[in-house]
Amino acid sequence: MTDDTGSDPIATAREEGRTTLTEAESKSLLREAGVETTAFAVAADADGAAAAAETVGFPVVLKVSSPAVTHKSEWGGGAGVAVGLETAEAVRGAAERVLTEAEAAGVEADLLVEELRDTDGGTEVIVGGLRDPSFGPVVLAGLGGVFAEVFEDTGHRLAPVDRAEARAAIEELQAAELLGGYRGGDAADVDALADVVAAVGDLVVAREAVVEVDVNPVLVTGEGAVALDALVVLDDGEGRDE
Amino acid sequence: MNLQRLFDPDTIAVVGASTDEDKIGYEAMANAVGFDGTAYPVNPSAEGSVLGEAFVESVGDIDERVDLALLCVPGPVVPEVLEECGEADIGGAVIYAGGFAEAGDDGRELQAAVVDIADAHDVALLGPNTSGFVVPGEGLLCSFAGGVERVPAGDVAAIAQSGGIAHDLAFRATREGYGLSAMVGLGNRANVGFEEAIAYFDGHDDTDAIALHVEGTDDARSLLETCRAVETPVVAYKVGQSDVGEFAESHTGALTGDHDLYLAGFEQYGVPTVDSTAALLDAGVALATEPELTGGDVGVVTAQAGPGIVIADRLQRAGATLPELGPETRERIDGILPGITFSGNPVDTGRPMPEFGDVVEAVATDDAVDVVVVYELFEEALGFPVEALDGLHETADTPVLFVSEGPPDSMAAEVAALREAGVPVYFQPERGAEAAATLARYAEIRKSEDEDGVAAGSAADTGGGR
Repeated sequence: MTDDTGSDPIATAREEGRTTLTEAESKSLLREAGVETTAFAVAADADGAAAAAETVGFPVVLKVSSPAVTHKSEWGGGAGVAVGLETAEAVRGAAERVLTEAEAAGVEADLLVEELRDTDGGTEVIVGGLRDPSFGPVVLAGLGGVFAEVFEDTGHRLAPVDRAEARAAIEELQAAELLGGYRGGDAADVDALADVVAAVGDLVVAREAVVEVDVNPVLVTGEGAVALDALVVLDDGEGRDE
Repeated sequence: MNLQRLFDPDTIAVVGASTDEDKIGYEAMANAVGFDGTAYPVNPSAEGSVLGEAFVESVGDIDERVDLALLCVPGPVVPEVLEECGEADIGGAVIYAGGFAEAGDDGRELQAAVVDIADAHDVALLGPNTSGFVVPGEGLLCSFAGGVERVPAGDVAAIAQSGGIAHDLAFRATREGYGLSAMVGLGNRANVGFEEAIAYFDGHDDTDAIALHVEGTDDARSLLETCRAVETPVVAYKVGQSDVGEFAESHTGALTGDHDLYLAGFEQYGVPTVDSTAALLDAGVALATEPELTGGDVGVVTAQAGPGIVIADRLQRAGATLPELGPETRERIDGILPGITFSGNPVDTGRPMPEFGDVVEAVATDDAVDVVVVYELFEEALGFPVEALDGLHETADTPVLFVSEGPPDSMAAEVAALREAGVPVYFQPERGAEAAATLARYAEIRKSEDEDGVAAGSAADTGGGR
């Protein structure tokens, strides 16, 4: 029932004719690439989800897990993501809602149970990777939320990058000061974040099927950088075997 | 591909040469006859001669080996003419005509046909859809534009994606009194692209810097890798903040525009970028003086406070550092000019004076300073400190950029003397400052590459996505 056992998520997605990996598959791929992720497990039913939550440790987040659903929080009238579940009972309830919505929508869905991280203690950062037709593999870093999307405050580099080059991409962000301990918090572990950027770049370089990677957000604290959510997009596979 | 015969020919054939002064076949011929070798006018339907050279019917009828053909013929005729050139063992051709890949599917087919012929005969093609190239130092004027003979010879190669921009840069250089080692309009880049042109001018003896105009290319990584591989400093002007990819499914895709990647990529690969054609030439001239700059710390010496403040402000906004001058330098300046207005950095002498050159020398020899920007309004009675600045670059191991203004006619001889002494002269405080800032930026990005980039650089060669 868990994540990083066995088969290659890219091969699995290929076999099923998919170009989008689920969050669990995406995170497995990132773990293999050396990126720390929150603990997670995939279950098929409410009991399985409750058991998974015991393993992962309360409180947990429960999310719909389906190749057909990429924007989980908007899915199923809000049933797609349930945050801060403290008990097995709460997990079962959230799981039932997901399965009911899935059945109503005619979607095959599993349940993703994840460790909940306190995001107040850190800064949320978007790290991305992209295979550009002209530049080849590239990476992106930007602070989460409005900084990246409204102010377009993002740093780009051609991959592969080493830690120093990745740090430079982060440090040139206008919002970079927020990583330095703004609001009296601890200074963020920028090296750990830079390593995530470098690892995402290496992943796009190494796996030719990967065209886009979103690690959004990465939670950066004084102790490290952890991927809280991830999305990997593949090309259509024409003319290529992996 | 060897571009020697394209850019450094001994013999030229002007195909489509004409006696009709309104035709590009005349302009091209008029420009071509100016160089040391022979220029043969080729035109099967012309008789007699043009500009003292007798017409020949075909390139195949020329007795000596021709290196370069300038094709002043309409696009549809190009394949036939190029085939004849190939059979005559011509090594390079400039295709001025449009109507190729820039003009839809039929044009693309025509261009593909031309490339096949060129590949079969090993002909290097400039264009199609270009106004050509000029090498002022050789009097080699392979452009159909009038006036290119007035572009001064210098040490900057201007390589532009657009023939129009290439000529804009060439005439701007003429207006500013800068020289060019070459001006190239790449046009459609049928088989000579950025990579080939940059690599060629990297090995060109007269070229000390390359100023690059880029609209866009479908293999940007290869362009960047070429820029990193060459020894000659490159500065780039990337035009067009184009929209982000429409294919994007992720946030990353939506946040990654082509323009962002060019700007980030150029810096990552050791190429500073600028934001205008003027700044491109300004920076090219600065880079040509000092490709080996060891750091990006700028000393500023000014004879007038206001322009000095503008320069310091622009330098800092552009990311350059104005270091504190060492105690020895301050002591020296106090000795030259007791009670000087301000002997920090910028050093403000308050007015032009005979000792101005000594102050510049004191700052240039300060260990903390990698490059000096000087501002001095022209005063006829004093002139410029040419003697003090001549050779200072070598003795102090620090280049000096000179910024001034004054009545153009009265200062012309002194400006020329400074340039003769290897000191670039600029006419606007902001432009001089930005040229220095780009020079400083170049030094900084090259330095960081030396420190950590070699491994990443070689890894990138295997990571290319194409």
